[in-house]
Amino acid sequence: MASVAARSFVFRQQMNTRRFDFASCLNIKSFYSSYSANPKEKSPENYTQYHEVSSDNWKFVERLKPPTVVPSFPKNGSCFSDWTPPPDTPPNLPYFVKRTKNFMVPVYLNFEAVRNQRKITMVKHIEGDIWALEKAIKSHLEEVTKRQVVSQVHEVAMYIKFRGDYVLHVKKWLLNAGF
Amino acid sequence: MVCYLLTKPTNPLNKKQNKKIFWLLVEEQLPTTIRPPLPIIHSRKLAFPPKFKAPRQVWVSNMDTVEEEKLGLIDLHPEVFAERPRVDIIHENVRWQQLYRHVSYANTKMRYEVRGGGKKPRQQKGSGRSRHGSIRSPIWRGGGIVHGPRSPTPYFYMLGFNTRLNGLRSTLSAKLAQDDLHIVDSLDIPTDDPSYLEKLVEERGWGPAVLFVDDNDIMPLNITAASDSYGHYNLMPVYGLNVYSMLKHHTLVLTLAAVERLEERLLFHLNRNDAASAGQKYRLDSV
Repeated sequence: MASVAARSFVFRQQMNTRRFDFASCLNIKSFYSSYSANPKEKSPENYTQYHEVSSDNWKFVERLKPPTVVPSFPKNGSCFSDWTPPPDTPPNLPYFVKRTKNFMVPVYLNFEAVRNQRKITMVKHIEGDIWALEKAIKSHLEEVTKRQVVSQVHEVAMYIKFRGDYVLHVKKWLLNAGF
Repeated sequence: MVCYLLTKPTNPLNKKQNKKIFWLLVEEQLPTTIRPPLPIIHSRKLAFPPKFKAPRQVWVSNMDTVEEEKLGLIDLHPEVFAERPRVDIIHENVRWQQLYRHVSYANTKMRYEVRGGGKKPRQQKGSGRSRHGSIRSPIWRGGGIVHGPRSPTPYFYMLGFNTRLNGLRSTLSAKLAQDDLHIVDSLDIPTDDPSYLEKLVEERGWGPAVLFVDDNDIMPLNITAASDSYGHYNLMPVYGLNVYSMLKHHTLVLTLAAVERLEERLLFHLNRNDAASAGQKYRLDSV
């Protein structure tokens, strides 16, 4: 079985090595799952040729396209909104709350329970000692709102939920803490 | 070893010359153990450089010799290879991979499918016995089954994109953390002898089952032939990497090209700008 399979691989290998001559010249990668691996496919000379008109004007096309990845924020200058950029050095705490890929603070307002009656403040992207963070935020919220705050710590998914709408309080606390 | 298949030119009019003679020319390539001064691979630029997480460093080994030779040290991106492994997400991925292709062929007959039962057994009134319309009703012995299995029942569902993405990240991180991840420069081995591969794996203490992952799906001839007789040494392109296979095989061996491709793809999806609009067409409950 090994010899039969090896022979078939020999044939397939050298079939593809023949085609690699065209592909390697034009830097086209040939996979089994690509068109160039198809036996019916001819060399690129048989198909419509193309040539560059002007490579200088491509920048006008590129600036119209939206960015594929999140662009970095400008380091200098202030924003008219109350968004603050993430710090360059992490604070010296046993926990860390990472910003989202759009550089936002990861605090969300969820509506849970039947007919969306319960407001839940959720803090995500937590790393490190989650219980210490929960204790710190909870004590701050109880001090600010002067009422008891109920919380849930999810150690596997690493998020904390507070029952109530405390999004602005939590965001302010996190920004002050240096996250 | 490089093989060339040659044919003699044939004349359609000359029947004698029509016999095609195949020549198999085998060139033996000398094993190359002469290497430039080490480390060969000593730096790797990470896309989306991590801000506060340290990159994980791994050795790059060779496949040329049975004994392991360390060719260099490279950085692996922590967001791909040092993520906190989410066991629940790994479980979800494994369950999905097993279940999405499962079709249950179990079948039971309903009352209209069971043979007989078209006639009313006895008249409605007068016999003193209970009234019935059919001898194959579900309350009868031998009657049809009401809510039984109906063949074929598919169990297809699609796990969310981010769940599958995070499944890969969690599994790769777990593999690296448990010393089951190895990086090699390429999958080129000097001979197609299956025992070479076995000796190599035994010598290095790689697990009974090894999954070799390369960037291209056209693998080198020698390792293809060598691993063909073993069910537990498997070759896989990067696009076929999945949580179930990574857990099924004890050791995961990635080539440098595979690491580059894997990181590029996973980091792109983690940092892309148009994730919501790209996934819009796959949403089931929206138009």
